[in-house]
Amino acid sequence: MKELLYKEFKLAITPAFYIVLLCAVLILIPSWIYFIAMSYIFFIIIPNVFLLANSNNDTFFSILMPVKKSDLVKSRLISVIMLEILNIAIAIPFAIINFSLYKNNFFMDPNIAFFGFVLIMYAIFNLTFFPGYYKTGYKIAFPIIRAIIFTVLFAFLIETTMLVFPDIKLLFGNRNGNIMWQLSILIVGVILFVLFNIIAFKLSAKRFEKLDL
Amino acid sequence: MSVLNIQKINKTYENFKLKNVSFDLEKGYIMGFIGANGAGKTTTLKSILNMIHIESGNINVFGMDSKKDELSIKQNIGCMFGGIDFYPKRKIKSITGVVKRFYEKWDEEIYSKYLKKFKLDEEKKVFELSNGMKVKYSLVLALSHGAKLFIFDEPTTGLDPAARDDVLEIFQEIIEDGEKSIIFSTHIVSDLEKCADYITYIDNGEIIASTLKDEFIDSYRMIRGSKEVLKRVKYELISHKENSFGFKGLIKNENINKDEDYEIFEADLEDIMIYYAKRGVSDERITL
Repeated sequence: MKELLYKEFKLAITPAFYIVLLCAVLILIPSWIYFIAMSYIFFIIIPNVFLLANSNNDTFFSILMPVKKSDLVKSRLISVIMLEILNIAIAIPFAIINFSLYKNNFFMDPNIAFFGFVLIMYAIFNLTFFPGYYKTGYKIAFPIIRAIIFTVLFAFLIETTMLVFPDIKLLFGNRNGNIMWQLSILIVGVILFVLFNIIAFKLSAKRFEKLDL
Repeated sequence: MSVLNIQKINKTYENFKLKNVSFDLEKGYIMGFIGANGAGKTTTLKSILNMIHIESGNINVFGMDSKKDELSIKQNIGCMFGGIDFYPKRKIKSITGVVKRFYEKWDEEIYSKYLKKFKLDEEKKVFELSNGMKVKYSLVLALSHGAKLFIFDEPTTGLDPAARDDVLEIFQEIIEDGEKSIIFSTHIVSDLEKCADYITYIDNGEIIASTLKDEFIDSYRMIRGSKEVLKRVKYELISHKENSFGFKGLIKNENINKDEDYEIFEADLEDIMIYYAKRGVSDERITL
């Protein structure tokens, strides 16, 4: 597996993509929907990683190595998960700076619960995109559009809930909200992230296994 | 000892079917896998690597089951599939840096030795290599991880005659130690004349023959005769071509009738391929 991950980061994921991760700096924009700042990873990076891999015949290259088909799915999913976690890690310092610069945001603040919701958003993306892509192993447009629609709907639902129910925003959405409630969202986020990724892997591997390359 | 044993594999596509494909490759030999475009060569080779799912049949490599022991088999296989470039804009050095991590028996010394021998520059990008150089690079990778079986799909397609000759000579050098075996597909018959020990001929998804090259060629004859004779022997022929003087056709040696009034002469690989291909066409005409 580590050989495949090395290949992912050496050949499939080019350094330019890390620069896009810096879009997390957009968390410094005052009174903004910060879910957008965390979404560039699947607007730009993930579709391009897959398109680039396709145009370089990555699947064919990798399958000739002593690896199983399911390992290809696993390594790609793990590398995307690593990028997602890296994106969150890059965003955290900017969230802290945001706290020192502004008072409560009109939309959700980039607090602990926010990162819990971001994890759920990434989990939804992975669960909808990966099994969709591995149905064919090369068609990307429809799976990516569908996954983006689901994640945007989720973020929209969270933000709307916060706006419609100010009490909920007070608990979860503000920087001065209830820490325990916010932490519980983060924990739920972590659990769903792990769970959805396991399901995404199992479904994708099963579908990819059926394909003739 | 058998290195590659394929038994009765079947695979159905919408417009094509592999039918009971079976053959055997012995250690230390080169097998040429011939057939027209679309005859099933690549499909068969892909099935060895589990890239496609066969519906029935067995594939054994080094005495191991190709599905159960996929990883240990792949450790000892070197492959190249024609016309497909991997990461063309990357330097050879970067590709090798990735590939070598996958193999337990990677030998850096052998790698450097063959790079020098084949005059490959590690700083060059894949797309800068000529087709011949690409084949050589695939060979270097396979040799450096100690491959015992080389599976090459159309390695000579698109090469100029000099480069082709070069590659075929390297094939022969590779098997000299008696430890390595090569199966390569091609539709260029002169490749086989130069270096194949065995020939496996596939036509429309079916193996016509898999035997020693000379035996294969010797099992066919070309015959020439009048149109009157053709009427009598038509059904004994693989196929035939008619002209104003009579006909010319390919026949199995065992079907030769010495009492018939036709001229017999030796067939070559090209004749065999052409007349088998023609058989397919005439069959289609009948069904239409």
